[in-house]
Amino acid sequence: MEILQVKNIYKDFSGLEVLMGVNFIVKANEKHAIIGPNGAGKTTLFNIISGKYKPSSGSILFKEKDVVGLPPHILNHLRICRSFQITNIFQNLTVFENVRAGVRSQVGMRYHLFKTPDRDSKINARTEEIIEKIGLTEVKQRLAHELSYGQQRALEIGITLSSDPELILLDEPTAGMTREETEEMVKMMRSVAENRTLIIIEHDMDVVFSLADTISVLHNGTILTSGKPEAIRNDPKVKDAYLGEE
Amino acid sequence: MEKRIFKSIWIWVLIVLVIMVSFPLLAKPHQVNLLTEMIVFSLYAVSYNLLLGFGGLLSFGHGMFLGLSAFTTGAMLQRIPGLPFFGAVLLGTLIATLVGLGIGCLLLRHKGAYYALLTLAFNALFYAIAIKWQKVTGGDDGLPIKRPNIHLGFTQLSMSDVTVFYYVTLVVIGCALLFCWYFTKTAMGKTVLLLRENEERMQFIGYDPSISRLILFTFTAFFAGLAGSFYALFFKFVGVDAISIDMTTTALLMTFIGGTKHFFGPVLGAGFYIYFQNFLSDVTDRWPLFMGILFILLVLFVPRGLSGLIQSLVDHLRKTKN
Repeated sequence: MEILQVKNIYKDFSGLEVLMGVNFIVKANEKHAIIGPNGAGKTTLFNIISGKYKPSSGSILFKEKDVVGLPPHILNHLRICRSFQITNIFQNLTVFENVRAGVRSQVGMRYHLFKTPDRDSKINARTEEIIEKIGLTEVKQRLAHELSYGQQRALEIGITLSSDPELILLDEPTAGMTREETEEMVKMMRSVAENRTLIIIEHDMDVVFSLADTISVLHNGTILTSGKPEAIRNDPKVKDAYLGEE
Repeated sequence: MEKRIFKSIWIWVLIVLVIMVSFPLLAKPHQVNLLTEMIVFSLYAVSYNLLLGFGGLLSFGHGMFLGLSAFTTGAMLQRIPGLPFFGAVLLGTLIATLVGLGIGCLLLRHKGAYYALLTLAFNALFYAIAIKWQKVTGGDDGLPIKRPNIHLGFTQLSMSDVTVFYYVTLVVIGCALLFCWYFTKTAMGKTVLLLRENEERMQFIGYDPSISRLILFTFTAFFAGLAGSFYALFFKFVGVDAISIDMTTTALLMTFIGGTKHFFGPVLGAGFYIYFQNFLSDVTDRWPLFMGILFILLVLFVPRGLSGLIQSLVDHLRKTKN
């Protein structure tokens, strides 16, 4: 069953055409990687799916419902949640508070004028659970800006996960990481993606080929091809456009 | 560690409470009056700081809520015979809140300079209305107000008595201040802080910044309105000063003097401002000049305000102790 259908998405920035008819399908519980050379429009595509930008035209169906152009917080309520390529966390808050912000949003405690979330045992338990999953239990009371880069990237994923999303969009989760950190991250992504759908933008081909069920290649603003990792690896068009460069 | 801090806060609250309650027994009436004024302005400054310090929103229109409520309280007391004390307070606060909600809807999508300028424009608009709509506001002459007594069934509280008015103000405004403090601990209060920290990420975890700002704006309008109503009843008079840009600047000065980082900073600021103004105006008619000089000195040399100064002193003492 398809959970996400991206249909004929166009996007231009004051005349500069970045996306020119992007089409692809993501199946439920699939790990779907989007690869492509720099400037192919991967992040723009993510920004459109996650509601940061509106496309010039085209539609996006999430579970058969058109969600194109909805603001990010509504998409979050529909349980689509993303991470950012450039770490985007609450720097002056503790790890715990970072994750709890998302957890309490998910249980609907966003604007309450009388309830205090700090001692809500359900929220706190859920927060602990997520922090354990991203491996930051030992540093949960540290301020986010005191963490190492690898830990901040893990927190980035933790905040994304705190909304209990059905569809997770990860924008280059391993960018700038060491070999060991990358391996940890791949392990974490596997456990995080259990019973969820994952779309990931990634430059590291080892990560892509070890993690993804399906790969779509974005080139010059359009999807060159989609398929199983082996098919993509052997596709002459892909080799020409992208993999061959390496 | 957390428990000890918690305990010491309650000790401080108790000490302040004892001083506040026993003050009229020891002080002269004019001093009681001065403290009443400080309490009223504390709430005004604290409500302003919820916007500025907590929400990161620089507003130049806070005076309109104080003024609107003050004028409503005055005009209603004049027009509705037998309107009870708290009826007048309620009406004034309600109007300020509703106008806050309305203007908040129009300001939803704005931040920074546009936000500041739009609030300034709205304040100017209400100031103009207050001057021109003489029938209701008294125009330049203002509105004299008679404080109604509070009937409690078995007895009645004479509000013309300085001490009685002080206690009523202390209870009502004190509760309002406590609720504002509690607000910073609630889900909404935390949301406001997090939005200032990282608005983009908040959207992607399900928060609507527009709704948050609207709630905050309306909330602060409510408390500025409550302060405004007591302002009118305290002075037994409302003039156009109450709704002028100067009134907004007063909130800004008090907040900066006290410090924006601490919840109780503006309370200190309001107390200091009122005391200093009172002291200076006894000495010279040119007190705003000295107030201005003081403000410049504070911003230059104590940018974190009095509460920041106290905080550094406490930190310093702790360090030397260890």
